[in-house]
Amino acid sequence: NFYDPMDCSLPGSSVCGISQAKILEHQVFRINVRNEDEISKLNQLMNSDNLKLDLWKSPSTLGHPADVLVPSFSLREVKSFLEDHGLEYSVTVEDLQTVLDSEDRKLQRNVRQELSSNCFNYGAYHTLEAIHKEMDFIVKSYPRLVSAVKIGHSFENRLMYVLKFSTGKGSRRPAIWLNAGLHAREWIAPATAIWIARKIACDYGRDLVITSILKKMDIFLLPVANPDGYVYTHTHNRLWRKTRSVNPGSTCIGTDPNRNWNSHFGGAGTSRDPCSDMYHGPHPHSEVEVKLVADFIAHHGDFKCFIDLHSYSQLVMYPYGYMTMRAGDADELDIVAQNAANAMASLSGTQYRVGSVGSTLYASSGNSVDWAYDNGIKYAFTFELRDTGFYAFTLPADQIIPTAQETWLGLKTIMEHVQNKI
Amino acid sequence: MQLRRQPLSAPRPGDTRPAAQRLAVPLLLLLALQGAAASGEPEDSGWLQDAEPSSRLLSQAARAALHFFNFRAASPSALQVLASVLDGRAWVNQKKEYKFDLVFTTEFYRAEEGEKRLGTCSAQVFFRNDKPRPAVNVTCTQLIKKERRQEEDYQLYKLMKQLKSPLNAVRIPDSHGYIAPSLRPIWNLAFLGSSYVMWQKTTPFLHYFMSQISSVKQWKTNDDAIDFDYTVLLHEFSTQEIIPCRIHLVWYPGKPLKVKYHCQERQTPEEGSGTEEGSAVALTELSNF
Repeated sequence: NFYDPMDCSLPGSSVCGISQAKILEHQVFRINVRNEDEISKLNQLMNSDNLKLDLWKSPSTLGHPADVLVPSFSLREVKSFLEDHGLEYSVTVEDLQTVLDSEDRKLQRNVRQELSSNCFNYGAYHTLEAIHKEMDFIVKSYPRLVSAVKIGHSFENRLMYVLKFSTGKGSRRPAIWLNAGLHAREWIAPATAIWIARKIACDYGRDLVITSILKKMDIFLLPVANPDGYVYTHTHNRLWRKTRSVNPGSTCIGTDPNRNWNSHFGGAGTSRDPCSDMYHGPHPHSEVEVKLVADFIAHHGDFKCFIDLHSYSQLVMYPYGYMTMRAGDADELDIVAQNAANAMASLSGTQYRVGSVGSTLYASSGNSVDWAYDNGIKYAFTFELRDTGFYAFTLPADQIIPTAQETWLGLKTIMEHVQNKI
Repeated sequence: MQLRRQPLSAPRPGDTRPAAQRLAVPLLLLLALQGAAASGEPEDSGWLQDAEPSSRLLSQAARAALHFFNFRAASPSALQVLASVLDGRAWVNQKKEYKFDLVFTTEFYRAEEGEKRLGTCSAQVFFRNDKPRPAVNVTCTQLIKKERRQEEDYQLYKLMKQLKSPLNAVRIPDSHGYIAPSLRPIWNLAFLGSSYVMWQKTTPFLHYFMSQISSVKQWKTNDDAIDFDYTVLLHEFSTQEIIPCRIHLVWYPGKPLKVKYHCQERQTPEEGSGTEEGSAVALTELSNF
C-alpha cells in the first residue's frame, strides 16, 4: 500500500474506473431524515451497489441531515428514488470543482479523497500520457497553488509540461527549477518528480518547511524534460538515453540533452559523433527541449536554484562537470550537498556520495548544472538517484516511493538553505 | 601507509560498533598485504603513487576485482557486489599502466532483503597499457560457509534443471525492473557469466554494469551441466553506451565456469574493428574462499 504519512493519501489503486473530469461532475446531496422509516430508506439507497454512493456525513441523530456524494452517472436514479419515497433533499454542491476552488478545507479534503481513488499509482512507472494526465489532475485539485505552464513542444511535437507552484498571485518571485527525465531511460527520475509534485501540493499548508518556502519562492517542476526519448523507452528501446532529433547526414538519431547546454560546449566528456550516447549536438541548445528550458529560465531572470534529477549512482553533485577544478562556491555547495545527503540517508539508510560532477562522476561538458551555475544560479545541483548498479536503469517499481521520499528530504534541505540565503 | 580521506560508509542504522572496531579488520588485512606487497612489487621502477586517487577510480578497480572474484568462485548463489571502498592506493607508471591496492566491503547479491551482510575483500589490481583484462589478486572474507554455499548452489541448480526451455524474447528484468521469482536463477547465472565478460573488458577508463538480459537463445540441461546461451546488455559508464554481448556459458555446481562471449561494440572512429571475442580456458579452482 502506498500512503503519504502527511495524510494526503497518495494511493496505489490500480483500478481505473472513471476519468477525473467525470468525477468533478459529481454532486453532493443533503438528505433530511425525519424518522426511522426514512433512515431505513436512506440505507436502502446507500446499499445499492450500482449507484456507488458515498456517505460523507451520516445523520448522527434524527433531524440532522446526511451528506451523500452522488456520482454523475447516478444522479437521475437517486433523484427519482428520493422523490418517489418522499425524502427531502437539496443539492448542496453542484459540482466538485467548485469545492476545490472554494475555501472550505474540510469539504476539499473529502473531494480530494474522492478524487484520490483514481487511476494514478505512484508506486508504478507510467507512460508520458498518464503522467501528463496526473499533472492535469494535480492542477485541477489544487487550483490556487498549482498551475500548468506549457513551455512548448519537443522535436516530435510532444508537450513540454511544467507545473508551477506559487502562492504569489501573479507576481514574479525568486524561483526554484526542478528538472527530471532529461535522460530517457532514467525512469526513476520522472517517477520521483511526479510524486514530488503531488507531495508539494499536499503538504502546502501542513508542512512548515514547504509552506515557508512557498511563501517566498515559486517552484517550477518539469517531470519529463525529454518526452520523445521517454516515449521511445516505452515503445522501442528501454535503454535509450538521448533525444529523438534527426541528425542530418547520419542514420543515428538523437543528441545527449545533458551535453547540449551552452556552457563549455563540446569539451571533455562529450562526443562529436551523432551515434554516440554522449553526442553534444550540432550546436548549443540545438535541442528544442533544452532551448525551451534555458530560454524560459533566462527570460524569467530570477531563478535561485536549479536541481536536475538523474539515475543511477546515488550521488548529490554540484558544478563543474566540464573540468575537475572547483567552482568558486564549491565549499558552500559541498556543505549543502552533504546536508542533503545526510537527510536522504536518515530515512532508509541509503548512502549518497557528494562532490563536484567532474571529480565524482566523470567529465561532462555542456551539462545542465554547469549552465545554470554560469548563468547566475548559484544553487545548482544534480542528483543521481538509486541505485548503485545492481538494477541500474531498471530499478524495480517497489523502490519508487522510498526513493521519492528520501529524495524529497534532500530537496527540502537544499530549498530551505536557498530560502534562508536569498 | 597513507590512509586517504576516503569517505567511509556512514554507520548504518543499528550499527553500534565503535568506528575503531569497524576499521580493525580491514586495517589488519592491509597490514598483511603490505608485507606481501613489499616483496612483490614489480622491478621496473617509474611507479608514481597517486597521492589522492579519486574514489571513482578506486571503485572501478574494486569492481574489476570483484568481477574476477565472482567469476572464479563460480557460485551463482554467492555473488557479491561492491559496497564501499575502505582504503585504496593507486600507482601509475610511464607506460600508462595502473596498479591498485584496495580494501573494500561487499554485499551479498540477494533477493531477500533480510540478510544484509557485509564482507571485506582486499585486492591488488594491475592494468597493463590501457588494455583490458586486469591481473587480479583478491581475497575475501567468507560470507557464508563453504558447505552452505555449495548446498545453495545445488538447490539453485535443481531449480534451473526444472525450468522449461522456451524463454525466447524474455527480458530480464522487464522494463519495470521486475524479475519473476522463477526467473531469478537465470538472472543469477547470467550475472555470473557477465562477471567474466565485465572483468575482461574493464580498463582504468571503462567499467561496466549488467543492465538487462535481452534474450535467451538456449537453456539446455539434458546432460548434467547447465548450458546457457544468452544476450546481455552491458552498460559502460564513462561513455554511457549500451553494449550487447552474446554469452555462452556452461555451469555445474562446484566446477569452474566455462564462458565464451562476443560483444557488439559501437563503431567509433578511435576504436578499430570494434568487435571483441574471448573465451575462458579451464581454470584451476582457488581454494582460499
